[in-house]
Amino acid sequence: MDFKIDKHISGQFNQELEQIMSHVLDMGGIVEQQISQSLAAISSLDAKLAGQVVENDRKINAYETTIDEECARIIAKRQPAAIDLRIVLAIAKTIADLERIGDEACRMVKPALESYNREERQFLVDLDHMGQQVLTMFNKVLDALARMDSEAAYEVYKMDKKIDKTYEAITRQLMTYMMEDPRAIPKIMDVIWATRSLERIGDRCQNISEHVIYLIKGKDVRHTSREHIEKMLGV
Amino acid sequence: MISIAPEVAKITNAIAPSELTQEQTALEMNKLNLFYGDKQALYNIDMKIPKGKVTAFIGPSGCGKSTLLRCINRMNDLVDICRVEGQIKLDGKNIYDKDVDVATLRQNVGMVFQRPNPFPKSIYENVVYGLRIQGINDKRRLDEIVETSLRKAALWEEVKDRLNDSAFGLSGGQQQRLVIARAIAIEPKVLLLDEPTSALDPISTLTIEELINDLKDTYTVVIVTHNMQQAARVSNYAAFMFMGELIEYSDTNQLFTTPAKKKTEDYITGRYG
Repeated sequence: MDFKIDKHISGQFNQELEQIMSHVLDMGGIVEQQISQSLAAISSLDAKLAGQVVENDRKINAYETTIDEECARIIAKRQPAAIDLRIVLAIAKTIADLERIGDEACRMVKPALESYNREERQFLVDLDHMGQQVLTMFNKVLDALARMDSEAAYEVYKMDKKIDKTYEAITRQLMTYMMEDPRAIPKIMDVIWATRSLERIGDRCQNISEHVIYLIKGKDVRHTSREHIEKMLGV
Repeated sequence: MISIAPEVAKITNAIAPSELTQEQTALEMNKLNLFYGDKQALYNIDMKIPKGKVTAFIGPSGCGKSTLLRCINRMNDLVDICRVEGQIKLDGKNIYDKDVDVATLRQNVGMVFQRPNPFPKSIYENVVYGLRIQGINDKRRLDEIVETSLRKAALWEEVKDRLNDSAFGLSGGQQQRLVIARAIAIEPKVLLLDEPTSALDPISTLTIEELINDLKDTYTVVIVTHNMQQAARVSNYAAFMFMGELIEYSDTNQLFTTPAKKKTEDYITGRYG
């Protein structure tokens, strides 16, 4: 269904929907920056940058409450139906996921506060590699949302599996290392938690891709199989 | 979690109108075409209207929704240049058959209009009007019907002490409920409502909407409304019409969240072209 957000008879409603959408994308931009700075802080073991990431989380929280208010106002004043209703619902869910991604980005920054020997540094390289994968996924899902493209959203949906595999591989390596050197357990645990955070961000990106599919197709694809989604999208 | 799942499914998976069985169907239209002189106003309408439910017709002005509603009790017979082809079956019997008595048909299919139209009589006489025409004059029986009809129309408590006052003394919302009471006093099978709240204030509107919800337990209700939110609130099924054609007809929940047709989507979200 080809669809334009700005074809309402009411120009004000167009503006409200456009504004709320642009706020979501702004929020997404900040979250993206948070993930990438968090990864940068870990790679360069930059405690100051890590502190900034934690500090910036407030901005994301503020966006969440503002956008929530905007959603409530549209529901109260415009009684949206069909695709307009789905836009508002999808946005309300998406920003909750974005906010949690923001939280994960702060939480994973901890390894930046430690020091590591040469062998351990290799783990940080792996972690960064996974982080770049997740960042790509996040970037693509935001793009799918901006373009309201359900097929692009499904491509993101599929990426999660690869990230889960990377997560398992890294965790296994880290566990082996902890068994070999129990004294390293505390700081390696921080790396494990960071890996875990990245894996969770992947899950949240997958959630957002489901919201985008719902928005465009009107079908709730949560808790269903890939076969089901493919049949529905006709890919 | 698992135990509520089938219940949830029940709410969202209402029977599609096309899959209604004979028993569940109150009205069935087959290839209904209507002409005003040379101009065609309805094109090949095929639809089944479910029994004991509220069905709403929506669409822009001049799309044929009121015309279609008026076909159901042959109000269009009053228009000289109007010609109807096709069938409308009420309980399996085509209402356009030659042997159908229009007065009996209108007893079975009551109608309420946009502006309340009480007769210049007392509240009591308004309600029993149809019954008197039928020749029912037993005071006890009439009293009883007046009370039950006014109760069903949610008006009894407000007027029970002044049944002999003129109906014109009532407010617009009360008059509209009185007209509904008058329509249901003769126990119709189907109740047609043609924009019943467009001349009322918001509170009276809500009272009427609440009433429609109660009425559907006893009658099949068909409503034409310009107010889309009202259609979404009161109806179980909704039909979207455009330029004399039935574009989409489905379960209201579906029509207002995920309409199948682009035209429907554009109309209910207030978009153009």
